[in-house]
Amino acid sequence: MIFVIRMAVREIRASWQRLLFFFVCIAVGVASIVAIRSVIQSVRQGLTREARAMTGADVVVRSDRPLGEAVRAAVARERSTGRVGIVSEAVELATMVRPAGVATTRMVELRAVESTFPLYGTMTLQGKPYSHDLLRDHGVLVRPELLAQLNLRVGENLLIGTRQFQIRGVIQSEPGRNLGAFSLGSRVFIDLADLPSTGLLSFGSRASHQLLLQVPSPPPLPGRRDPSLLLASELSKTFVNDFVGVRSYRQNEGRMNQNLSRAENYLSLVGLVVLILGGIGVSSVTRVFVQQKVRSIAILKCVGSSSRQVLAIYLTQVVLLGLAGSALGVVIAAGVLQLLPVFVGDIAALLQVEYGLTVGAVLQGLAVGLLVSLLFSVVPLLEVRNVKPSLLLRQDIPSLPQFDWLKWTVATAVGAALVGVAAWQAGSVQVGLLLSGGFVALTFVLHLAGIALIRAVQPLRFARSFALRQAVLHVARPGNQTRIILLAVGLGTFFILGVRALQVNLLQDFSVQVGEDAPDMFLMDIQSDQRAGLTALIDRENGAENVPKLIPVLRARITGVRGREVNLESYEDVRERGGLSREFTITYRSALEANEKLVDGKWWDETPAGEQAEVSIEESLRERFNIQIGDEMRFDVLGRIISARVTSFREVDFRDFRAGGFMIVFRPGPFDNAPHSFIAAVKGGKDPAARARLQGLIVSGYPNISVIDLREVLDTIRTIVDNVTLAVTVVGALVLLSGSLILIGAVSMTKFRRVYEAAILKTLGASSRLIATMLLLEYGVLGAIAGTVGAAGAIALSWAVARYGLDLPWQPAPFLTLGGIIVTAGAVAAIGVLASLDVLRHKPLSTLRAE
Amino acid sequence: MIELRHVSKTVQSGDHPLTILHPLDYTIRSGEFVAIVGPSGSGKSTLLGLLAGLDAPTTGQILIDGVDITRLTEDGLARLRGEKIGFVFQFFHLVPSLTAFENVLIPMEIAGRRDAPTRARQLVEEVGLSDRAHHYPSQLSGGEQQRIAIARALANDPPIVLADEPTGNLDSTTGRHIMDLLLAVRQSRASTLVLVTHDAELASLADSRLVLRDGRPVQQNEIPRAAAGAEAAR
Repeated sequence: MIFVIRMAVREIRASWQRLLFFFVCIAVGVASIVAIRSVIQSVRQGLTREARAMTGADVVVRSDRPLGEAVRAAVARERSTGRVGIVSEAVELATMVRPAGVATTRMVELRAVESTFPLYGTMTLQGKPYSHDLLRDHGVLVRPELLAQLNLRVGENLLIGTRQFQIRGVIQSEPGRNLGAFSLGSRVFIDLADLPSTGLLSFGSRASHQLLLQVPSPPPLPGRRDPSLLLASELSKTFVNDFVGVRSYRQNEGRMNQNLSRAENYLSLVGLVVLILGGIGVSSVTRVFVQQKVRSIAILKCVGSSSRQVLAIYLTQVVLLGLAGSALGVVIAAGVLQLLPVFVGDIAALLQVEYGLTVGAVLQGLAVGLLVSLLFSVVPLLEVRNVKPSLLLRQDIPSLPQFDWLKWTVATAVGAALVGVAAWQAGSVQVGLLLSGGFVALTFVLHLAGIALIRAVQPLRFARSFALRQAVLHVARPGNQTRIILLAVGLGTFFILGVRALQVNLLQDFSVQVGEDAPDMFLMDIQSDQRAGLTALIDRENGAENVPKLIPVLRARITGVRGREVNLESYEDVRERGGLSREFTITYRSALEANEKLVDGKWWDETPAGEQAEVSIEESLRERFNIQIGDEMRFDVLGRIISARVTSFREVDFRDFRAGGFMIVFRPGPFDNAPHSFIAAVKGGKDPAARARLQGLIVSGYPNISVIDLREVLDTIRTIVDNVTLAVTVVGALVLLSGSLILIGAVSMTKFRRVYEAAILKTLGASSRLIATMLLLEYGVLGAIAGTVGAAGAIALSWAVARYGLDLPWQPAPFLTLGGIIVTAGAVAAIGVLASLDVLRHKPLSTLRAE
Repeated sequence: MIELRHVSKTVQSGDHPLTILHPLDYTIRSGEFVAIVGPSGSGKSTLLGLLAGLDAPTTGQILIDGVDITRLTEDGLARLRGEKIGFVFQFFHLVPSLTAFENVLIPMEIAGRRDAPTRARQLVEEVGLSDRAHHYPSQLSGGEQQRIAIARALANDPPIVLADEPTGNLDSTTGRHIMDLLLAVRQSRASTLVLVTHDAELASLADSRLVLRDGRPVQQNEIPRAAAGAEAAR
């Protein structure tokens, strides 16, 4: 054993330069895994710490409808028993605000709170401490961006609904504001007591009514459930039929953790992909290493060491290198984390998170790095067994290759272990299998395509240029690095171009949707008596051709299908399961819309429904819940039970939202006298001033109507897409880096043979320049082939994901593809020549003598 | 004692089987110095490789101290070489990544000897290269490399030393020094020495000679010493 370790150390001492590449491959992969995991784990630790402040309470009772007496009574009961301490009521709703006397409006997310707010966390204002007294008697707190947008200052007035509010402070940070949640506008705080005076709580408005409960916490006892969880689950049962949701902050924490775990595992897969690419490099380095060491291995066997000892020597080397490479990876990751705040400082400050290496991430990185080094090198190392000491006496006549059971068994085990590592890193066996399967399939395709393309360039071997002829011959020569370069570079190109192409498709789809003719403003919560006035207003401002169609909307819950009750246990269950009992926004009309297609059944005619109500259901609901034509469905529409027969199924293109997208459409009739509101899609014009004017007029005339400016929303989405693009680019750069590492490794792999060839060519009169040209052409041809294969794969990937994954129309990206191939060919040629520089530099005589 | 019983070696060369060594019976006594002579391609090196268990014979048995080495596994053979056989090659075959000292050290480390460093130092001194001990093979001349190879062959005090044209790759002066060294160590250790050589003069020093031609032993009395010498000189 001591001998094995001593020999391993001596070997590393002598050939560390050749093994440097091994080392770097592992380091890059491990660095990406450790950095990604550390960031996410830091964020998670930070969020968990802040979970109660984020929720703003121990338990939140929440409803989209005003909280009824029953709910309040139940909470009051709990309070009298002492299980609930402070109760703080709040209402959240989206609305439009504007400065008094000015037409410019903005959508904001209004939060009306009581003096007990906040129960947890702290509210920070610019320049002064927060106190509820600031809100009392029509005071308002706003975000700095709103002041800038509306050109307002503290002390001036803001019109909310029909009431003026005085701006009394600027919010710096607010507890309980869920980060990353999609928001329609900036936050505004008022006193709950002032909310009725705004007139915003009229019928049909979308407000979230909340009771924030503080639960006095007894000292935690082992084995006892958290009192806030217990209370939340009991209240949920009490409120089963009240459309009320109850959540403990512990549940939010759980959900947040789950989401973050998923993100962590998926992102770590990216790290694993990088590491596997590195592993391919490790495997090729090891193979060449063994080839170069054949004589030393024979000598060791000749002086008495067994195959097992020799294998142990090289495995020990791999372990040492793998450990050292992984450790270097951790150091790199630590450096990256130090630099990270420079780039994403904002986010870190916002999350109040300190980035740093986490122990878990470091241990995982080390373990995965070591595993990948061992797994990828063990098969090539098995060649050690086949080295016969007799080759020291004479060049062996090679025996026929025999089927090596051990090698294939080990290779199979290695494959299984890699699937295991992938599954471990993804946190899912299925994803692990998918990733590994994808890799194998991709490798196979790249291999076949490579062979085909090498054949295709063979006619060039009759080319007039000596250098080109030699280059083509070298590419096709058996046993050279062609296959490994094709694989590594092809995979790299595939990843980078594939992701880029997808991105092009995504962005194009967005720009298509804000096309010239599409409506870009949505009006919500229009009341029946406001219809005529609103239509007239838009007609006057916008021209008669742009008069919006008003679509009636109601909210309904499905309570039964075909006599089968669909009353799920509670509001929470409904949300979790996304099932039938969730609330749907429904409408009624007599004709199909342009974005709808009848797929089954018969559409009703213009006449209103008779006794029996009729309904048309979206295709996806039919599939999910096994509804059939003629089925009887029961709906709860604002407390009224309506029974309707399913007469048709439609397919709706939800991306074309000009006419809205409705899962459930009724035949006109049953709701004629029911209270309902309307929505409308308006084209606001291109001129920002005109848009602002129209919004201002609508909001000042009808304060309860919410205007959603699609252009603003799309701007937000575009920012998100930009951020995602940045992340993807970083990932692509990592893959590219590992791709070039593999390339450098593959080139240096065959260098010892190349040095000898170049020496012979030089003695025969070839100039260094000719040899350089040969190398340049050889690697250029290889790069072009690898680029072509990768680009073809990328096109296929983006097409498949666009078509089946994202349901987008696919667009080719010809310039990207062509550019990708050219850049790949150039990069491979450059790296190939640079990595072979000493081939050119070596003096022929010393090389030939050494052989 | 080494006994060869009906030992032959046939390899597949393209489509035809090619017999390198025809069945041979031969006995080498302990402490004997045997020279194997013959022209290139006569099967000398093959025979030496078979004796060391570097290769397996196609037929026959090879007994070393009564043990049939053809029945040993690859690892068993490795152990046998470590304990009983020292090998000196025409092309030295030192491990390029190890220093001269370490090259001498390995067989003893493999055998697990505690005194390996001390002994390695003594051996390097015995072959006269103490001052070059920490050089790599590429920094040593051919003669120096061969001295280290001899020191390595002697590391575990093997009763048998096999040498495959040890002077074949050296100039005549250096070659003579190497031969003197080999004979001196053989004398001091009373080991069996089997030497493959072209050199008639060297062969004449041996206790007995085995002459091979086209893979067959040639009767000694059929070839006058002068003729054998002329052949070797060619």
